[in-house]
Amino acid sequence: MPDIVLEYASEIRLAIGQTFVMVGISILAAVLVGLPLGTWLYLSRKGQLLSNRFVFSSLNLLVNTIRSFPFLLLVVFLIPFTRIIIGTAIGTAAATVPLAVIAIAHYSRLVEQSLLEVPKGVIEAAVSMGASTREVVLKFLFVEARSGLVLGLTTSIVSFISYSTIMGVVGGGGIGDFAVRYGYQQFQTELMLYMILIMVILVQLIQFAGTTVARLLDKR
Amino acid sequence: MISLRNVDKSFSKQPVIQSVTLSIEQGEIHGIIGASGAGKSTLLRLMNLLERPDAGIVEFDGTDLTILPKQKLRQIRQEMGMIFQDFNLVGNKTVEQNVAVSLELAGVKKHERTDRIQECLRFVGLESFARKYPTELSGGQKQRVAIARAIANRPRVLLCDEPTSSLDPSTTSEILRVLQDINQTLGVTIVLVSHEMQVIQSICNRVTIMADGRIEATVATEPAGITEITSDAGWFLTQLVERRDSHA
Ligand SMILES: Nc1ncnc2c1ncn2[C@@H]1O[C@H](COP(=O)(O)OP(=O)(O)O)[C@@H](O)[C@H]1O
Ligand SMILES: [Mg+2]
Repeated sequence: MPDIVLEYASEIRLAIGQTFVMVGISILAAVLVGLPLGTWLYLSRKGQLLSNRFVFSSLNLLVNTIRSFPFLLLVVFLIPFTRIIIGTAIGTAAATVPLAVIAIAHYSRLVEQSLLEVPKGVIEAAVSMGASTREVVLKFLFVEARSGLVLGLTTSIVSFISYSTIMGVVGGGGIGDFAVRYGYQQFQTELMLYMILIMVILVQLIQFAGTTVARLLDKR
Repeated sequence: MISLRNVDKSFSKQPVIQSVTLSIEQGEIHGIIGASGAGKSTLLRLMNLLERPDAGIVEFDGTDLTILPKQKLRQIRQEMGMIFQDFNLVGNKTVEQNVAVSLELAGVKKHERTDRIQECLRFVGLESFARKYPTELSGGQKQRVAIARAIANRPRVLLCDEPTSSLDPSTTSEILRVLQDINQTLGVTIVLVSHEMQVIQSICNRVTIMADGRIEATVATEPAGITEITSDAGWFLTQLVERRDSHA
């Protein structure tokens, strides 16, 4: 291990931990809220099972709006909301709030797109067999779209990592923040490069895992 | 068994089905023929309420489906199997899982499901394909899986939308034979939509002719039988040579 990395070992460990917390919460939010939201977005579309123009336009507008914010401004914009939920707007816990919000918007759009790729005939067959909307979603849509859902989540996670690097602005810490403060601002370019290397390896691993899982799940 | 009375259906103000009255009798194989765009598929989809009529009544065994609560309608749909031109199998489920899901939806218990899946796959001649995925099957085999799935809940009617239209002639006769078998040995009423006269003539007892969203006529016919069509090289050769010689 290079000396410079060893010298900052405990700070680096802390930063990696903070990144994992921020990205982890983003993934949870994406799966627990983004997946249902994206499914609803899909189902409320014209010609789909819960087709409803008002619901679709509202959800669509909401997701687009959140996604069109420059992320830094979204973080600032959400400060009052973060205070209400976490009690403070500063720190790693507080940083997870804007991250969760963007994670939900980001993944729900990818979920919608994956579901749109399921042939309509499959849904029709499900309905003709007497499936309820819930059964259509769980036993048909998610089964048929599963590799797309995994690939979408992989893409999302890579974005979450990128988003998490700027959370230094609200004291969120993380590898990106560490690289900027110790590497860039203190002119330790080597340290900065090592941090970038960690990020590159992390992204490669996630992408490899996601692609592999998606391929194994795809039997079509 | 199924009865439509003065049914209308439009898509974005364009009338597609216009005051159609039709009844499907218990035990028959009822053909529906007409040009592409005549409204055959829509008419079939009205029978299990995949499409809701704008006006008129759709009855199954005397029950008006248009006023049924969702839950009841879903139960009725389990008594009506349906198969499609593009098979519509779940690509990420194996053959047996595709059949199983239909039984799950109907609440059939797990231990009973295994037997029923076996039974249905045996009926369509695919018991050795249980663990395969649809992509590993030919078109005719996929349609057999779709048939197994559709009959798994022992429906009383089987709605078929162009079930042979993406199959070659010899596979077409295979599928028609399966449908006829379902009708004769299981006593299932069949509604068969097709734009191919040969298909309709081969197994139907009664045929409805459609044009521009209306019924032109419904006639009783004697099934002509399924023509033996094979796709083996020898047959191709004899056909070609006979033709040439008869022209000579
Ligand atoms: N979901 C739909 N939305 C709009 N138009 C439709 C829809 N389904 C069918 N149509 C139209 O209704 C007419 C009849 O279609 P269809 O019932 O599929 O005819 P067929 O099965 O006889 O070819 C066609 O003009 C078709 O474009
Ligand atoms: Mg059609």
